[in-house]
Amino acid sequence: MSTANTRPQGNMGLDELNRIVLEFLHKKGYSRTEAMLRLESSRSTVPSLATRGLTAAVPLAGADSYAKTYALLQEWFESSLDMYQPELSRFMYPLFVHMFIELINLGEPLMACEFFDKFCESHELLHSQDLQAIKGIRLPQHVSENSVAQRFVTRRCRVQISPTAFDLLLHFLHSIEAVGGSTIIRLINQHFSLVIKPKQAAGSSTDDDDEANDFGDLGELENAPKKPLQLGIMPVDPDLKAEVLATLEYKDKNEKYDTELAPRFEEMTKPESDSPAVDAIPLPKFKPRDVEAAVQRVIDSTQMAKLGFGHKQQAALPSVAMYTFHNTYDDMNCVAFSEDSTLAAGGFADSYVMLWELQGHKLHSSLPSENSDGPTSTRRLIGHSGAVYGLSFSPDKRTLLTCSEDKTVRLWSMDTYTSLVAYRGHTEPIWDVAFGPFGHYFATASHDQTAMLWSTDHIYPLRIFAGHMSDVECVCFHPNGCYLFTGSADKTVRMWDVAKGVCVRVFMGHAGPVTALACSPNGRWIVAAGEDAAIVVWDIALGQRLKRMRGHGKGPIYSLAFSMQGEVLVSCGADCTVRVWDMQRNTLEANPALEPHDALNNGSEQVQDEKKKEVQSTTDHMAVFNTKQTPVYKVQFTSKNLVLAGGAFIP
Amino acid sequence: MSRQGTTLWSHSDTVKDVAEAIGIPALSDDVSKAMAMDVEYRLHEVIEQARKFMRHSKRRTLTTRDISSALKVLNVEPLYGYDSDRALKFKEALLGSAQTVYYIDEEDEVDLEKLIAEPIPKIPREPTYTAHWLAVEGVQPAIPQNPHVGEIRVMEPSLRGSQVTYSTSKLGQEAEVKPLVKHMISKELQLYFDRIVAALIEDTPSDVSKGVSNDTNIVEKQPNQDAMDINEPTSKEIALLSLRNDPGLHQLTPYFVQLVQEKISTDLTNPEILKTMLDVIDSLLHNQTVYVGSYIHQIVPCVLTVLVSQHIQGGGYEVRDYAASMLRSIVKEFSPQYTNLRPRLTRTLLKGFLDIQRSLESQYGIVKGVEALGPEVTLVIIVYNLSAWIEPISEIGQRESEKDAWSHLRTALTEAISKAPESETAEALKLVSEAM
Repeated sequence: MSTANTRPQGNMGLDELNRIVLEFLHKKGYSRTEAMLRLESSRSTVPSLATRGLTAAVPLAGADSYAKTYALLQEWFESSLDMYQPELSRFMYPLFVHMFIELINLGEPLMACEFFDKFCESHELLHSQDLQAIKGIRLPQHVSENSVAQRFVTRRCRVQISPTAFDLLLHFLHSIEAVGGSTIIRLINQHFSLVIKPKQAAGSSTDDDDEANDFGDLGELENAPKKPLQLGIMPVDPDLKAEVLATLEYKDKNEKYDTELAPRFEEMTKPESDSPAVDAIPLPKFKPRDVEAAVQRVIDSTQMAKLGFGHKQQAALPSVAMYTFHNTYDDMNCVAFSEDSTLAAGGFADSYVMLWELQGHKLHSSLPSENSDGPTSTRRLIGHSGAVYGLSFSPDKRTLLTCSEDKTVRLWSMDTYTSLVAYRGHTEPIWDVAFGPFGHYFATASHDQTAMLWSTDHIYPLRIFAGHMSDVECVCFHPNGCYLFTGSADKTVRMWDVAKGVCVRVFMGHAGPVTALACSPNGRWIVAAGEDAAIVVWDIALGQRLKRMRGHGKGPIYSLAFSMQGEVLVSCGADCTVRVWDMQRNTLEANPALEPHDALNNGSEQVQDEKKKEVQSTTDHMAVFNTKQTPVYKVQFTSKNLVLAGGAFIP
Repeated sequence: MSRQGTTLWSHSDTVKDVAEAIGIPALSDDVSKAMAMDVEYRLHEVIEQARKFMRHSKRRTLTTRDISSALKVLNVEPLYGYDSDRALKFKEALLGSAQTVYYIDEEDEVDLEKLIAEPIPKIPREPTYTAHWLAVEGVQPAIPQNPHVGEIRVMEPSLRGSQVTYSTSKLGQEAEVKPLVKHMISKELQLYFDRIVAALIEDTPSDVSKGVSNDTNIVEKQPNQDAMDINEPTSKEIALLSLRNDPGLHQLTPYFVQLVQEKISTDLTNPEILKTMLDVIDSLLHNQTVYVGSYIHQIVPCVLTVLVSQHIQGGGYEVRDYAASMLRSIVKEFSPQYTNLRPRLTRTLLKGFLDIQRSLESQYGIVKGVEALGPEVTLVIIVYNLSAWIEPISEIGQRESEKDAWSHLRTALTEAISKAPESETAEALKLVSEAM
């Protein structure tokens, strides 16, 4: 009770104090300090309602000066010192969008268009998606409907800036106050939340994250002390472990293997200091099949091809088996391989799923009625009523999940080749589905801007992960199954705690929608690829970007896969190539070499390259394998480190 | 000036036309303008959504099917009757002086009777797959299923992406590994080398027949040297001149260095050959187009060997002087690059100097070498050690057989010491003169 009483008093006291200080400053003639204090104090006191209503109060006469003001600002920005440019550049894009929105709200669509055309060029590189989305806005009503515009209107844009740079900006804005500087100050007041902080030492990662302007909630997440995560491997259930060990010891005794299997299994499954508890994610009781699978994994791991540099000069590169699909009439949307590489599945725009047995065996259904056509090595799974966009085999390959434009996920049995369940919960087409590392659980990504967690034995979702500001494009589980990663068209990757259902990390750094995700087998790194043809690696625990890998041709990257030990990454995409990347270079060293250019430079360089000639690749680009006019949809490593790649031949 | 300003919709004529078509005769300007702007925004919206479907269908062309899906997602009744199988054809139509361009979809009229009568089209082929090795341990096998290099090269660079890879760890800190490739030398160079060697090693320079043949050969190689032939230089001189001036010898440098090494170790007593070999080194050192720096570790031992050689016929004082001066120039030129060159030489010479079992000729060479390294080295090696050193040496010097050598050594000593700072050397000079 007492605290509630004192708080308003404290506030009043603060206002009083501000007034006294301002008077003092005014008297002494410290105009800049005064302006800054006014700005700062108004920021903390103005409620964050900041909407279209406010702008209407602005005199119309200002409308035609917007372009002039922005031009002045841009000119000043370009002529300012290099060391302040990155900081100041963070203002430019949000200001551009806000001024455009204001012009629309003032009912000046023509002027707004002119303004947009004149200044959009400098932002096209990093924000082409957003620009596309707001380009067509003509009426105030559109502003309220457009998700991108709403993002700007309803959330404050968090900008971190050093005191010196802020002083410079303020000074400049005051000097052009008569020609619209006040408009900009007002916009900054209304829509920005400034974090005035001395500039960090050069080379810190915050510098290059400027391509994504942080919005309020992201900012809080970013700023909040990073909660420790449990990224260690999932400990094996003690009963299962005992059985597997018994089998392996028996094998060690009776069969000849190069390495002792039992100690190897112990080594592979040794819990780490940050491993989650065994029962962190409840799983059904293990079956004999699980024991078999675990034993096979250990045996495979001893026969695995060694990849990467190791201690040698010459890198060991993987072998790639390419499955080319013909007669698809460009209708095939996705491919998946089962973990033991005996089955392949393809999702088609014509609502069906095709299954292929890859070893030449026949697919016998255990239901007699399903075998009426005689056994064949292909099966057509019919059940969806819209294009199939995602496929995922369960780790035990007994079931297959498919997701579709018809807003459902279907579970198919690989014993009977029939549909078992249709999971309904999403309200829009579903883009991606992925089984968890131990089966049972799966996750979906949808056009309705949410991701959901399901278990195969419930027809409703267990968790709904909401937070992305655009479509969720892809999902990927952490190897220990406790976390989920989602990549979105809002250019971010989010990490969710499966048990608690909350977002624990946001990774930014892409210039386009995120199209593919992969988590390293040791669970320390997350890798995302986007439509901007770049691959970005982050350290999960620190939430920091480690490196950016370039080399893919124009167009989205469709799939990423880590080798079993995580030494190399394989990617594939619309440029009809499969590429191999060295994961150790520039990530493992104590002081990773700084990326040669910051993001902005890199981008402009690439644009030039497109005009001129080659696409530059980063130095961790180990190999490129070109296909014949076959965009590669999926890459996957087998447990022996062989790469399976699949794509549809487009004649 | 603005692209948006002059789109199809900005004049709002289209809106009016459509309105008329559905039976609204007179639409006010304001309304049609607002409608036009709205329609334009909606179109953007639809295309934006359709792009998502295109992306997830892993296609790079937008099809009518994507538009239908987008309309469905936007809760709009999709347009029926358009499919992706048939490429849409639009006809341009210009209307009068207003210059308004209309695009009309050419729709074929289908006769139902005929369509029913037609035989059913063939069933499209089943999707199938083929498997092949795209790469075997990082190497793309040359099979028809894989594209060959030429096919990739003709692709547009921005589409095919980077073809540059880094599969060796050269970029790391480790040293570069050079493949074991045999050093190939052209036939001409081999011939040249043989001729030069022959010319150099001739015992008697006056061997006319051989000299002439070499002569002509080298003159052929160097026509501009013709004028200098008046004094009939020996073939050896011409060979050395060629080594000194000819460009393009860098490939042969290791072979010459090896030759010098071999010759010096086999003919260590022959002053003539030693001098020739030093000449070869000198020529190579002076050749502008050859960089000898990388062979210094082989050349310096050769020069030192000559300098401190135990027995050369006739004492070899001249050759030793020559070697000493060469040592000086090498040290001067290369010690900035090889910082340990000077200390190593000093150490070697000091060791030799203190070894009183050495012949006096050899000691002479050492003193000359020390002198070549400069006064500080002279001070450290000779002056500071002299009092202990001179006694046993002068004893040997008293012998009849060593008289000549002893006098040479003394002169050399005096010369060397007198170059060192005077304050330190007075006593040493006295010691030397006393030992007479």
